[in-house]
Amino acid sequence: MIRFENIEVTFGDFTAIPELNLEVKQGEFFTLLGPSGCGKTTALRTLAGFIEPSAGEVYVDGRAVTRLASDKRQVGMVFQNYALFPSMSVWENIAFGLRVRKEKAADSDRLVRDIARRVDLSEEQLHKNVAELSGGQQQRVAVARALVLQPKILLLDEPLSNLDAKLRHQLRQQLKDLQSEFGITTVYVTHDQDEALAMSDRVAVFNKGVVEQVGTPQSIYDESATEFVCNFIGDSSRLSADFVAELNRQSRRALDPSANSYLRVEKASLEPAADGSAVPVDGTVISRTYHGLHSRYVVRCHGSEIRLLVKEDGGAHPVTGSPATVYVQPAHVLQYHPETGISLDSRLQEANRA
Amino acid sequence: MSRTGASGASTRSMLRSPAVLVAGVVLTWFIAAFLVWPNANVLIQTFFPDGHFSGRAAEKLFSSQRAMKSLGNSFLLAVALSITVNVVGIFIVLVTQYFKIRGSRILFLGYATTFIYGGIVLAAGYKFIYGDKGIVTGFLASLFPDLDRGWFSGFFAVLAVMTFATTTNHMLFVTNALKGVDYQTIEAARNMGASTWTILRRIVLPMLKPTLFAVTVLSFLTGLGALSAPQVLGGRDFQTITPMILTFTNSPTSRDLAALLAVILGVATMLMLAVMTRLEKGGTYFSVSKVSAGLQKQQITNRAANTVVHALAYLLFAVYTLPVVLIVLYSFADGAAIQTGQLQPGSLTLENYVRVLTQPSGLRPFLISIAYSALAAVIAVGGLLFVARILQKYRNAVTTVVEYLLHIPWILPAALLALGLILSYDHPNPLVGGAVLTGTTVILLVAFVTVKIPFTLRMLKASFAAVNSSLEEAAGIMGAKTLYIFRRILLPIVLPAAAAVTALNFNSMLDDYDTAIFLAHPLFQPLGLVIKANTDGAEGIEGVSNTFVYTVLLMVITGVTMYLVYGRSGRKPGAPAKAREVGTASPATVPVDDARKDPAPVP
Repeated sequence: MIRFENIEVTFGDFTAIPELNLEVKQGEFFTLLGPSGCGKTTALRTLAGFIEPSAGEVYVDGRAVTRLASDKRQVGMVFQNYALFPSMSVWENIAFGLRVRKEKAADSDRLVRDIARRVDLSEEQLHKNVAELSGGQQQRVAVARALVLQPKILLLDEPLSNLDAKLRHQLRQQLKDLQSEFGITTVYVTHDQDEALAMSDRVAVFNKGVVEQVGTPQSIYDESATEFVCNFIGDSSRLSADFVAELNRQSRRALDPSANSYLRVEKASLEPAADGSAVPVDGTVISRTYHGLHSRYVVRCHGSEIRLLVKEDGGAHPVTGSPATVYVQPAHVLQYHPETGISLDSRLQEANRA
Repeated sequence: MSRTGASGASTRSMLRSPAVLVAGVVLTWFIAAFLVWPNANVLIQTFFPDGHFSGRAAEKLFSSQRAMKSLGNSFLLAVALSITVNVVGIFIVLVTQYFKIRGSRILFLGYATTFIYGGIVLAAGYKFIYGDKGIVTGFLASLFPDLDRGWFSGFFAVLAVMTFATTTNHMLFVTNALKGVDYQTIEAARNMGASTWTILRRIVLPMLKPTLFAVTVLSFLTGLGALSAPQVLGGRDFQTITPMILTFTNSPTSRDLAALLAVILGVATMLMLAVMTRLEKGGTYFSVSKVSAGLQKQQITNRAANTVVHALAYLLFAVYTLPVVLIVLYSFADGAAIQTGQLQPGSLTLENYVRVLTQPSGLRPFLISIAYSALAAVIAVGGLLFVARILQKYRNAVTTVVEYLLHIPWILPAALLALGLILSYDHPNPLVGGAVLTGTTVILLVAFVTVKIPFTLRMLKASFAAVNSSLEEAAGIMGAKTLYIFRRILLPIVLPAAAAVTALNFNSMLDDYDTAIFLAHPLFQPLGLVIKANTDGAEGIEGVSNTFVYTVLLMVITGVTMYLVYGRSGRKPGAPAKAREVGTASPATVPVDDARKDPAPVP
């Protein structure tokens, strides 16, 4: 459906994207995830036609669109700040593209009302000025305006970043539902890993203009192919060589103590595993913070500060300064080459190459 | 679409739009005909009068005692004004913004009167009050019969009037800078035992230094290019460069001398503006605090000092407000009261207003000024709307050069621009289709539009920059073309700001004298020239009372415009937050700071 082939984007002397190769499938909800300045928005704007790359081609349905104007690419876009036209009503905003296409007034009106109904905008709201709407309603107008032209691809540039946390969670699901309902190929840009994991069919993790890993949310999380992805997604503890050696000693596994090793917070526990597969490592609680549903512990053992979560069920738990035993399954340890940052797990190396 | 990697591509993408091409051709002609050629022509006629280099104009200048004296006077006035304006201006800012002074809001209003009248109107107003036939002079003469009735003239009078008129720069820029001082730095100094005076001297004033340097340069330039104040109040003994340029322009044999003086004025202006730009780049002292605190007014703890500062503040208030109050009162006075200076309740009448607003002789200059100002304001804003958008959107060598050229009127004095137009279009010129413009009504309109270009361009560019670029991209992705986007999306957003700029431009030209005195058609004399003629006693008492009425009407128009442009937005803090989020270029986005040489006219 969408293919970035050897795309290079430079701004003067600065190379934002050195070489991008990426494919998005038909009907997929595909997310470009990464920290600020990693090149994800640049990639999206290249696909939209706002940036012409200095090298490479963008293909849509097998057709090169790199030098096509943005309006000829059949893409709809929802901007970070929605880019609603302040001098127009909601109806006029949604109908803008139809008017530009010189659609008949009656057809425009029918299409606008139809899309408004599907995104949950009322008749009354259609006649309001966009400034009178809440953030969530403005977002729905922006989506309706993009979808009314029936684009092949919907581009979403951090559309939830301006909203408060509660509304963000609510609209996240609405957006996903809309995408499923319309079945439209969607490319979504965000720096929020929660959003990416919750909404996407597949995720591409960007770092310094380079795609570190492409995969399903689960594979990105459980099988982070690079040290950057492991650190960027989720919450992990860095393990010392001493800690890794202790795991090797108790389990007779062959983890590499010289590698950069990480353990996800949920993979460590203060309780032994039911099947007895977890290795006990003794340490001391150095902090405990209460979060309501659970408490967050930091336990120092064998030169590592292991972070873990303990469910608050009213039971007795160790306090700061007291001894504690952390249980870890060596198979959950993620290891990366200290210089290249690539996973030592050959299976993940393959996935990354793919 | 912005192409990355290749720097010149932006020019190519810009030239793809037919609308941009058409606008570019018209703009190139305008720049060549009215910005570049007239000024180049002044240089040519000064240094290459017969096709080869000649120093004759310089020889004439050095041998002309009057011209040399005027040069000396201008620099003397510029230096003196730089000092006096700083003394008065800093005092005004401190008593209205920094120290706890009783009635500081009233004081501010008094000092701010120069915002609503300036230029020739202010000079004329001071002359009518303090001049040899002035109301205050008459009153003083009745108390001190030996008083020299011409006491308010010459260097002292020019310096005094210009000082009071030029403090507007301090009220705009220094006040703004003072508000940016982080109060926590003052609290920290006090905590370490510093006195009020030490804090002011060692903490606050050093932070204002970059702004003070900038306003000093502006004051210097104002003194250097002064025209109406020396003409109205300077008398025979104190004339400066610009009045001399005017005098020499009117004599065909001395035009080269006028041109050379204008060039000297232009070079000095450019040098000083370069200094100012360098100082600005030196920067303002920004607060390094993450959460800076708003300034709180300081109590002058020494009782004697507090009393002296209060007394001086109110004395200065009287100096500022007396002319305004007397002008308003005497605008209602009958001829006898104006002549004798004796104002009785019975002598107050609406007759002056009725005469000015109903009789053709009174109304005509007012209407001429309104027509010129309105036309020029609309043409400048209308013509530059699309140009400003192009210059704001495309950043490349072509737009940079165009932008610099459009700022020529900003760096050159009005006298040089006017002289350039006179010299260039006093014969059939192919640049304007073989027409002669000098002596016609068109040339003043051209000059008005030209002079307003830099201010208008800066304001409109700022307005377009305030519009979120996603709006244009959103329209573009839906298939809208450049002109359609401009008309349907951008224009409605910047329209309030454009209207505000139009109003400010209109205001600033209404009482113009400096340009009109060079270029006005003899039969279509705008208000500024009529007011000046009235100060010379051309129309007797009726002329004086007409001037009072004109001044009041101008103050009302300016006051209303200032309120509409700046006042309303400040009074509506409760505007819906969502409306602000959407972000439009409201009139309030026209920053007062950008006024610079505009729009407050100075005598």
